[in-house]
Order: sequence, then C-alpha cells, then structure tokens
Amino acid sequence: MGPLIPDGTIPMEWDSIIAILIGIVFGFILEASGFSSSRKLAGVFYGYDFAVLKVFFTAAAVSVIGIYYMDYLGYLDITQLYVHPTYIWAAIIGGVIMGIGFVAGGFCPGTSLCAVAIGKLDAWVYVIGIMIGVFLFSELYTFIEPIYNGYFLGNITLIDSFDWNPYWFIFIFAIIAIVAFVASDFIRKRVKKVFY
Amino acid sequence: MMVKKRTAKILALRYKIMAAILIMLAGGLVLLPKYEKSEGIPAEQLLSNIISLERYVSSDQISDKLINQDPSFILIDVRDEDSYTKYTLPNAINIPLKNLLDETFESFLNQDQFDVVFFSNDNFYADQAWAICNRLEYKNLHVLKGGINKWFATIINPQEPDENMPSEAFELYTTRKAASMFYGVVYPDQVTSNTPIKITPKQIITVKKKKKTAEGGC
Repeated sequence: MGPLIPDGTIPMEWDSIIAILIGIVFGFILEASGFSSSRKLAGVFYGYDFAVLKVFFTAAAVSVIGIYYMDYLGYLDITQLYVHPTYIWAAIIGGVIMGIGFVAGGFCPGTSLCAVAIGKLDAWVYVIGIMIGVFLFSELYTFIEPIYNGYFLGNITLIDSFDWNPYWFIFIFAIIAIVAFVASDFIRKRVKKVFY
Repeated sequence: MMVKKRTAKILALRYKIMAAILIMLAGGLVLLPKYEKSEGIPAEQLLSNIISLERYVSSDQISDKLINQDPSFILIDVRDEDSYTKYTLPNAINIPLKNLLDETFESFLNQDQFDVVFFSNDNFYADQAWAICNRLEYKNLHVLKGGINKWFATIINPQEPDENMPSEAFELYTTRKAASMFYGVVYPDQVTSNTPIKITPKQIITVKKKKKTAEGGC
C-alpha cells in the first residue's frame, strides 16, 4: 500500500503542497511546545530543561515502532522509504558545527525560523548568521567540495552497516529512550532551577 | 470525591504507563513471528509486462538500429560462450544465462540509460533472462523476437518474394538484402570487398545520480 508517494498513490505533483501543509503543522507544534525559546532549547546543555531530548527521542522511537508495525502488517514497504545518503566526514564536521551553533545560539535552523515568526530578536541575529554561513559555504565550495562529496557510503542505515536485527535494535532503542528520560529528570531535579 | 482521587492516582502514574506502553510495543516487534516476505515485483505487474507490446523487438528494427549506429541500446547474447564466439550479432555482449546474476554483469543490466535487448537462438532463453531481470525490477528490457534463427531467416538470408506478392514485400526484401550486405553477405550480382565491420562493444559507465529530495532537519 505505502509509501504513498513512491508507490504513485499520491502523484509526485502533490509533493510541494503536502510539504507546505506538513511544514505549517510542524512549525505550529514547534512553537506551541515552546521550541521557539532559545533558553528552553539550550536548557538541554545546561541541565535545566530536557524538552528537546524528550521530544526528539520520543518522536524517533514512536515513529520507528509505527513504521515497523506497518511494514509487518503490509501497509508500508520499508525498502521503498528514502534513506538519506551518508557522506561520513561531511556529516561529522557538519554535526560539530551545528552543535556549536546550537549551544552558542540556542536554536537549530528550524526552530530559529519559528522564533523569527513570533518576532524574537535573537532569532533574527541567528538567521542572519545562517545566511552568512551559507554565503561563506558557497564562496568556499571549491575547497570544501572534496569533503562535501567524498567519503560516500551510500544510503545506509545502522541496520546495514552493523548487520543488526532491526527488531531487537528498536526494542533496545526504546529502553535507552526510557532510561534517558528517567536520567534527564534526575539531573533536572539536581540542577539549580532557571526561570525563563 | 472518591472518583477524583482515583483518577488523580492513575494520572500520577501517566508517564510510567506511557513508558510501559512504549516498551511493550517495541517488545512486541521482537516477539512477533517473522515471515519471509516475497521480493520482486507482484504477479499482476509481471503479467502486464509479459503481455506488453514493447517486450519484443523485431530483427528488422535491430538491423535498422545497428546500421544507423544507434547508441541507445545494448544487445545481450544469453547463449553459452562457444556459440557466442562462433557467431553473434554485431556489438553484442555475452552474458550466458547461467551467469546472468553475476555481479560483473549487473552494470549492463541494471541501468536506465540503454535499452537492453536479449537474444538467444530462438526466444526461449532470452525470455527466461527477460523474466528474471524483470523480477529484479531492471528497466528497459526487450527480447529479440525469434532470436538468431529469425535474424538469419530475415536479415542474413532473406527470402526472395514471389512475383505475385505485394510491392511492400519487394521493398522489405531490398531493405533486408541491403542490410545483409552491410553485415558482410556477398551476393553473386554484387562485387564488394568483404570487410566485416568491427565494432567494439561499448562499456557502460553508470553514473550514480544524486537523488533530489527534501532534506530533513529540526
């Protein structure tokens, strides 16, 4: 039955429209859950608010369980899902830069736009920073290109690269998520309260 | 009052309950009995490919393409190596049926830049190769109708039409005769220097296209 777009149930032409609708809902929920506040987002690094960790861990665990149940029942073909390609060094370096930007600025690219939408000035500064970064990247592209396009490992997943059993992996992942939630609550209670 | 207290008691446990549900669902995936999923294309799709008119190409079409040096297709000889070295079509690549799934040949079959045309002595082995590649969801697969036998009967050794046949038959005969001369057949009424055309088999370089899709992020 699924996935709906690669299978042709929904024509490709609807891609952009569906993307816009999902984007609106995604942005609304980000804002509604307080993700447009840089203090809340940065809280995960200082130990006074773990909403980011909880939200993303829950999202990953719930969706992966849902996808595998749907695959098991034949509603979805996992092999047809798009897997993002891995350029290993580009991913590592990009991850480090993104992490530094996250701690320093208190936003990630998506939430910064959310915060711009509600008129946060620090988000404006952050987005201008992104634009400068994009400009520098484009200007230096010839130097960066070997890393950007190199070390290509294909569209791999953890299951492919380590030959793990996906079902056990998901089970262990769910347990890790719960442990992380409990541990983060424990830390939060120990850390001095910050009001924001 | 009692009811409120009881709901409050349950609500206090809500995170624990949700955590338990999450673990139970994930554990369910591990415990579910596993079954082997059928791979490849569904039977209906295969049937519709089989009855598709695009499946066969005629020897005349192939001959025409060869003479015009059409670069859009590759001929694949699925007979064994001995037959291949004895006689094959110009420019054909030998992939014996038993080696069809060898990794070295995958780049010839699994690509979408060229039309793949299978042939054997008749349709039989070529059809089998076609069906297997279809199951693997390779694209642009065709079979030379009648195989090499038909190729000989029509192109290399065309039947001279009778006097009372329509003019199209004569036109077809002239075309085929000209084509056969292209492939090195000498007719008594022709004086030609018989130099068979040697065309080196083309190498396929598949370029991995980067998929353009929306990228994720938070």
